[in-house]
Amino acid sequence: MKEHHGYGAGDVSEAVIEATGLTKGYGATLALDSLDLEVPAGAVFGYLGPNGAGKTTTIRLLLGLLRPTSGQATIHGHDTWRERNEVHRRVGYLPGDFYGYAALTATQYLRYLARLRGRADVDWDVVEVLAKRFHLDLDRRIATLSHGNRQKVGLIQAFMHEPDLVVLDEPTSGLDPLMQNEFLALVREARDAGRTVVLSSHALDEVEAVADMVGILREGRLVVVDEVANLRSRARRRLDLTFEGSVPAAALRQVAGVRDLGVDGRTARLTVDGSLSELLELAAPFGIENVSSHETDLEDIFLAYYEDR
Amino acid sequence: MFGTVLTKSLRDQVRSFTGWSIGIVVLVVLMVALWPSVRDMPDLETFLANYPEGVKELFGIEAFGTGAGYLNAELFSLMLPAVFLVYSIGRGARLVAGDEQNGTLEVVLSTPVSRVRVLLETAGALVASVAALGGVLLIAALGGDLVTDMHVGVPALATGTLAMVLLGWEHGLLALAVGAATGRRGLAVGVAAGFALLSYILYVAATLVSSLSTWGPISPFHQALHSGPVGAGVPVGYVWMFLGGAVFLGASLPMFGRRDIATA
Repeated sequence: MKEHHGYGAGDVSEAVIEATGLTKGYGATLALDSLDLEVPAGAVFGYLGPNGAGKTTTIRLLLGLLRPTSGQATIHGHDTWRERNEVHRRVGYLPGDFYGYAALTATQYLRYLARLRGRADVDWDVVEVLAKRFHLDLDRRIATLSHGNRQKVGLIQAFMHEPDLVVLDEPTSGLDPLMQNEFLALVREARDAGRTVVLSSHALDEVEAVADMVGILREGRLVVVDEVANLRSRARRRLDLTFEGSVPAAALRQVAGVRDLGVDGRTARLTVDGSLSELLELAAPFGIENVSSHETDLEDIFLAYYEDR
Repeated sequence: MFGTVLTKSLRDQVRSFTGWSIGIVVLVVLMVALWPSVRDMPDLETFLANYPEGVKELFGIEAFGTGAGYLNAELFSLMLPAVFLVYSIGRGARLVAGDEQNGTLEVVLSTPVSRVRVLLETAGALVASVAALGGVLLIAALGGDLVTDMHVGVPALATGTLAMVLLGWEHGLLALAVGAATGRRGLAVGVAAGFALLSYILYVAATLVSSLSTWGPISPFHQALHSGPVGAGVPVGYVWMFLGGAVFLGASLPMFGRRDIATA
């Protein structure tokens, strides 16, 4: 229980976030159940879990917005509850439900936050560059912005003071695919600059492109921490393969990792554990008309892990 | 532009402040305009004599024929306290709990500004805006005094205004404190309004029922209105109103610091 999920054994890099037995309960229910976690400096950590699993609770504990019921967390060695002002100096935060002051323009709002942080800590050029990248008109009142554009304001305020640690709760919500790519580029740049990024999501596919390591939360408990590559190799995917002729069911069953094969006309519905290469190699000669893949279900990843253990 | 929670909070109140200021000016102008006809009523004395004793005392009816007495009865005993309470409680409840419930507090509290400072600066903004509303009242009343022959004078109007401001401060800070301690705007309004209502009932009861009269002085309304407030000088009771507000705010500081912040 007390074992720490780290980023590889014998890791020498300093842990930016360290949680030990971090627990948050509301009455009889545990929103977060004794979380032990270390996030090393310079990593991009994807924090995954279905809605209601405890991602937002964890993040708000890290920001000192919630008081732990038991256990503790530190950021750069500072207790996230008792020394939250110290923590806040070095962290950028995008809430899961971001709300700016509707009556202010984006410029007024960001300048306000910049001054709360101390003028010296925010280079306004950074704000303008980010606004340009995200095609955000800073002169518009927040009330008149679409959900996606408000989210951009939230992202800019999280990044504008170039913090050591950026904590983003469901950051891509409301962003169109183009802006999502821009966002992922921003996260990569932050990592390349040596910063640490934590981003939560309910879907692996959203974070796997940037995350170095991933933690999966389920009903308040951290069930998996692993590198994305490992996770991917164990991931269980659901595929629909439509063949030009009839489905070579017998051949498909022979492929390692294939399970739950069902045939519906010329379409084979199946589940594959791990790599797809063997399956596709074998199936290709039969003439594949269409392949459609379903979003990787986190439940399936848990199951793959549990069955392996 | 604004650089702190204080100035931001002040800015948030501009619209509401302007509206209430206009309301106060209209109220004062109306009452002052009626003064000459009241003063010239031929049988004013007999008319006033018919009021029940309690009402006479509550509204200072005995002095109705003087400018100060008229202002006390028509404005400073009920109308203006109500205006100051509604404004102060509404603003006080909105400042922290309102921002928390609409989700905007979350980001502000993730900056290095401490919760103590956020609360103190919003309290400062509340105190300043209620004082400014008092300033508007004082100017309007002085204007009325100048164009009529009420002969109330600056000191008397100033103490009357001070009583309104103190009532506003105490109840506004209570609403702010409850909002900061609980994060619930509705509860903040409810507690502060309930406190005002109880305090008013106690004031009225202590005035009407002699066996309760010793309890009167603990009521903020008694402290504010008992001897005027226009033309009452500066009674010791004013100190209690000021202290009351400070105690409410002081008590809420650790509670705001130690509780979970709610999501919108």
